[in-house]
Amino acid sequence: MAASYLMCRVIYHPKYQAYDLGPEHPFSPLRVAMLLDLLHTYEVQVDFLEPLAATQEMLLEIHDPQYIQIIQEASAGKKIAHAEHYGLGTADNPIKEGMAEGALFQVGGTVLGAKLLMEDQTKKVLQLGGGFHHAHPGLAAGFCLYNDLALAIKKFTKFGWHVAYLDIDVHHGDGVQEMFYSNDKVMTISLHESGEYLFPGTGWIHELGRGMGRALKLNIPLEPFTEGTSYLKVVEGVVEPALSWFRPDVLVVQAGADAHFSDPLADLLLTTYDYERLFHKIIEMADQSCKGRILFTLGGGYAMAATVRIWAILYYVLHGWELPDRLPAEWRQRWQKKIGKPLPEYLHDRLPAYDPIPRKEEIERANRQLIQRIMDSVAADWL
Amino acid sequence: MLIEEVMHPDPITISPETTLCDAYALMQEKGIRHLPVVEKDRLVGIVTDRDLRLATSRLAKRPFEPDAEVKNIMSHPVQTAHPNDPIEIATQTMRELKIGCLPVEDEFRVVGIVTAADMLDAMMRLTGVKRPSGRLDIRMSDKPGELARLAQLLSDRKVNIHSILTYPEAEDQARLVLRVNTMEIRTLAAAICDAGFEVLWPPHISCAE
Repeated sequence: MAASYLMCRVIYHPKYQAYDLGPEHPFSPLRVAMLLDLLHTYEVQVDFLEPLAATQEMLLEIHDPQYIQIIQEASAGKKIAHAEHYGLGTADNPIKEGMAEGALFQVGGTVLGAKLLMEDQTKKVLQLGGGFHHAHPGLAAGFCLYNDLALAIKKFTKFGWHVAYLDIDVHHGDGVQEMFYSNDKVMTISLHESGEYLFPGTGWIHELGRGMGRALKLNIPLEPFTEGTSYLKVVEGVVEPALSWFRPDVLVVQAGADAHFSDPLADLLLTTYDYERLFHKIIEMADQSCKGRILFTLGGGYAMAATVRIWAILYYVLHGWELPDRLPAEWRQRWQKKIGKPLPEYLHDRLPAYDPIPRKEEIERANRQLIQRIMDSVAADWL
Repeated sequence: MLIEEVMHPDPITISPETTLCDAYALMQEKGIRHLPVVEKDRLVGIVTDRDLRLATSRLAKRPFEPDAEVKNIMSHPVQTAHPNDPIEIATQTMRELKIGCLPVEDEFRVVGIVTAADMLDAMMRLTGVKRPSGRLDIRMSDKPGELARLAQLLSDRKVNIHSILTYPEAEDQARLVLRVNTMEIRTLAAAICDAGFEVLWPPHISCAE
C-alpha cells in the first residue's frame, strides 16, 4: 500500500483566489492565502493536487442552463437584466468580473476530491476551497454561486455510493438539503445557529426530507450563544447515531469556521479547542461508519484571525500531526499589516475566551431537548 | 393578496340528494372536510365532516340514517367569498363566524373554495419565509417618511427586501417584520439602530452611538 493512500490529500489551485467579491466583502480569498502562507512559514509539508476548472456540462447536473449562462455573462462584465432574479447584484452576491472562473476552479476542486475517493487513491481529502452550500439550482445566495458540494455528492451517488453530508457551517446548508430532499441515497445533517433571525431562515427540525428521502435530512438548529460543550453533546447525541444507522460509503463535510465565538456574522461560541475536538470526532465517526472516507471542504468563517487558525488546526489534525503552540512572528507581522487587524500570539484561543453567558443553563437545556425532539421525530423511520 | 390567488378552483361539489354515506365516502376519498351543495348551478348549502358525524351520532336525539339526503342536514344560507376579496377580509369573516371554509362565488356560480389551511399557506407567502433570508423585527414612529427612510438605508446597502409585514402598535408606533437577503444581519441591524429605529430582533443589538 502506497504511503500516500493513508495520507490526507490536499486540493488547491491558485485560481481559487479569483473568487473575490471585493475588498469589503466578508468572503475573502485572503483567508486561504493567509492559511497557505502560515503552513509554509511553519515549514510543514504542503503539496497540492491542482484541479481543472469544472465545465459548463458538469454544472448542468445541478444548475439551470439559463442560470449558468447568466453567471458567465455577468462574470465577463456583461450587463444583466433582472440580475436580482438570480440573486446577483446584491450586497451578499455582488457581480465581480472573473468571479465565475474562480468559482469554477473551486467546484473543480471538490469534484477532484470526490474522484480521488471513488478511485480509492486516498481515504481523506481536504479541499482548500468550495463549500458553497447556499447556491440553489437557479439562485445565487449567501456568497455562493455554484453548489460544488451538491455536484460532488451527485457524482458519488452515480457511482453507487450512499453519501452522508455534514455541515458545520454556522448557517443552514439549505442549497444542499434542497437538492437532495427526496433522495434516499443521501443523508444531509446541518448543525447551525437557529434561523430565528439568521440567514437563510430555514433548517428547522421539522424539515426531515420528503418521500424516499424522509428522515434522511436532519437539522440541528442550535440556540444563539451555544457553547462548545453543548455543541459537542449534540454531535454525539444526533450525528453519531445518524451516521451509524445510515452507514454511508463516504462523508462529505462542509467545514465552515463561522461558529467561532469571534465571528462577526453569527452568535455561536465555539473556541479553537472545540473545533479541534470536533474535527477529531468527525474523523472518528468516518472511521466507524464509512471506512474513514472523508472529503472536507472549507466554507464560511468571517473573523479572519480565527478562521485561519481553525483551518490550520483542521490541516494538522487531518495529517495526524501535533499542533504547534505559537503563530510564527514573521507571519503575524506580514499579515497584520495587510489586513489591518491584530493577530494573536498563539494558534489556540486563550481561555476563558469570553465572558460567562448569563443564559448558559437555559441554552444547554434547550439543546438537550433538541436532541430528544430530533431523535423522537426520526425514531419510527430509523428501524 | 386576493382570494382568487389562494383558492382551490373548481371545487368538488355534491347535490342536495346525495346521501350522507356517499358524502362521507367522498370526503374520505379526496381527503377533504367541506362539500358545497349545488343545485342547478346555484350554491344551496354546505356540509362539513363534522356535520355528518354529529347528524349520524348515536348521541344525537334523532340520529339520521346513512342513506338520508344531505339537504336535511346542510347549513344554509352559505357564507361566501368573492374572487376579488382581499384575503384578510375573508380571514376576518371566517374568524368572526367561527367557520373553517368559504366557497368562492362569482355571478352566483361556485368557482372555488378556501379553507383555514389556505390562509396559513397565504401567511407563509406573505412573510417570505420560503426564500433564503434573515429576519428583522423593527419598531418605528407611525409617521410619514419613516418607512421610506428605512427602505433607503437597505437600498444603499444593496440589501433586497423579500417581504415586509407591518402592523400598528399603540402610541403612534408601528411594527415591521422584514425578511432580507443578507448574511450580515447583525451588522445591518446595528446600522438600522444607528439610524434611530428600535431593533427588537435580532435581540441584544446595540447602536454604535
